[in-house]
Amino acid sequence: MNLLTCTSISKRFGGIRALDGVSTSIEEHEILGLVGPNGSGKSTLINLLSGLYAADDGQAVFGDRDLLRLPPEKIAAAGVARTFQIPRPFDTMTVRENVSVSYMFGHRRHSLEAARDAASEWLAFTGLEAVADSPVDQLTLHQLKFLELARALATEPTLLLLDEVLAGLNPTEIDQSIEMIKRIHERGIALVIVEHLLRVVTSLSHRIVVLDQGRVIASGDPTEVMEDPAVVAAYLGGSRPNA
Amino acid sequence: MTARTKTLLGFAIVAVVLGLVPNVVEVLDAPGFYLTFLFTMFFWISQSSSWNILTGYSGYFSFGQGAWFGIGVYTTGILATKHGWPFLVALPVAGLVAGAAGLLLGLVVFRLRRLSGEIFALTTLAVSFVLASVARLTSLIDGGRGIFMTGTPLPEFLGDFRTSMYRMTLVIALLTVLTAYLIFESRLGWGLFSIRDDEEVARGLGVPTFRYKMTALGTNAFFGALMGGVWALQIGFVTVEDVFNIRVPLLVILMAVLGGMRHWMGPVVGAAIIYTLTDRLNSAGLADVNQVIIGALLIVMVLGVREGIYLRIRARWIASGVIFFGAMAALTVFDLTSSLIWDFSYALLITMAMLLIPTPLWERLTRSRITAPPSDRPPEQPVPSKTAGT
Repeated sequence: MNLLTCTSISKRFGGIRALDGVSTSIEEHEILGLVGPNGSGKSTLINLLSGLYAADDGQAVFGDRDLLRLPPEKIAAAGVARTFQIPRPFDTMTVRENVSVSYMFGHRRHSLEAARDAASEWLAFTGLEAVADSPVDQLTLHQLKFLELARALATEPTLLLLDEVLAGLNPTEIDQSIEMIKRIHERGIALVIVEHLLRVVTSLSHRIVVLDQGRVIASGDPTEVMEDPAVVAAYLGGSRPNA
Repeated sequence: MTARTKTLLGFAIVAVVLGLVPNVVEVLDAPGFYLTFLFTMFFWISQSSSWNILTGYSGYFSFGQGAWFGIGVYTTGILATKHGWPFLVALPVAGLVAGAAGLLLGLVVFRLRRLSGEIFALTTLAVSFVLASVARLTSLIDGGRGIFMTGTPLPEFLGDFRTSMYRMTLVIALLTVLTAYLIFESRLGWGLFSIRDDEEVARGLGVPTFRYKMTALGTNAFFGALMGGVWALQIGFVTVEDVFNIRVPLLVILMAVLGGMRHWMGPVVGAAIIYTLTDRLNSAGLADVNQVIIGALLIVMVLGVREGIYLRIRARWIASGVIFFGAMAALTVFDLTSSLIWDFSYALLITMAMLLIPTPLWERLTRSRITAPPSDRPPEQPVPSKTAGT
């Protein structure tokens, strides 16, 4: 059963068509890899689905609601969360407070007291207990990326949009992040992964959607899609594949 | 006992002690200026605390405190003098009128999605200029003639004029600070802090940013006008120039920044310090150089204590307590000054000098000699440079 159904989503920035009639879907408990050369519209799609940008056209039906017509706070309440490629923590708060705030609002309303306990749970899950009471400026990039995950998870999402969680990490950290993504998936959360490292996306995803210049040029089984001549051409025409 | 119960108990104790001050002054036959000194301080504590609920908590920098203050002054002025309303009925109405005006402003400025922080700040400033013109030109409000408040009857249970002022300002200041505290320890407060840090992210995590900003602005306006309404009596002869000037908005900002905008106690401490020093300089006949001295002191303190004086006092609470009360006791026992207010201000200055010692040096000085600071010591962080979210 489809969790999210996107139909002909379009978005222009001035004269540039960032997304040009994108239709795709994600099933419950699925990991969907969203790939494509730089500027193909991957991040734009995430920004539209999380309500950061307003779409020009199209629908993104999630349950009985169209995410493209909802403000960001309602999207969070509906059960969709996201992370940012460049971590954006609340920088006057501690790590624990960052996660608490997210749990207090998020999918359902929770009290301050409940949020403190829930925050501990998510900090343990992401392995951040040791820095729980540190200010966020003492965290490494790797820890900040995990804080993004903890904060997104604390909103209790059914669909999680990950915007390049692996960018800037070293090989060991990447392996840890992959394990983390698998564990998140085991909790029954569907994931959309935007990622440059094709080796990682193809091994993690159940299905892959390839975007090029704002259009879907291929979708389906990871290994088959990556051998599609149109995909190979798109990558060779843009940035080189990283596989 | 939870932290909240302790704080609320603290509020109750402070309320009772301060509530008894007029009786003590009467019994001891102490000079009345003690009451005036205190109620003027309550005025500033309430004004800067109410401002901080919007600006300190949400990060939206407001120059509009003068507008809320002015609405309070004129609403009680008109209702109590021109329409003969009982003062204590006019007062809450003044608060509600300003609250409604605040919400109206919020409806405009918070709906414009791309409104930058600078534009928000300028808009709030413009509101007080517009209100000043409206008041000056409308004969129903002021019409350029001013309003005499001196004959306004007050209920007898409040006591004489000075005691009435003391009691009303005390109640409003307590309500303002209590509200600031309750918001600080609530979902609303945490939602506002997340708006201050990154509004876009906050919204994406489910914070109802529009509703929260409206609540903060409305609360700010309500308390600003409530205290403004009482202050109309102290002004006596209300004129547009005295009410809608830049003094109130600038002073509340200085007070909150000096005390620390990240904690509900910050503006209380900042207002107490700045008001005390201004009052003493005026009383020493230094009114002319007052602003220069206060300005210089502020620069030193704000640069030297970036996180705000309150958080630094908390980090060095033993030393602060010993130095402040030690100085108070010494000055009082040896009768070195002419009044308790002088003792208080010298003790403040001495304590502030200690607080100026930079943190690394302080830690080296105290490592072996004084017991460790309390474990709930908050992290020291710089004053926010951001004025508002996008």
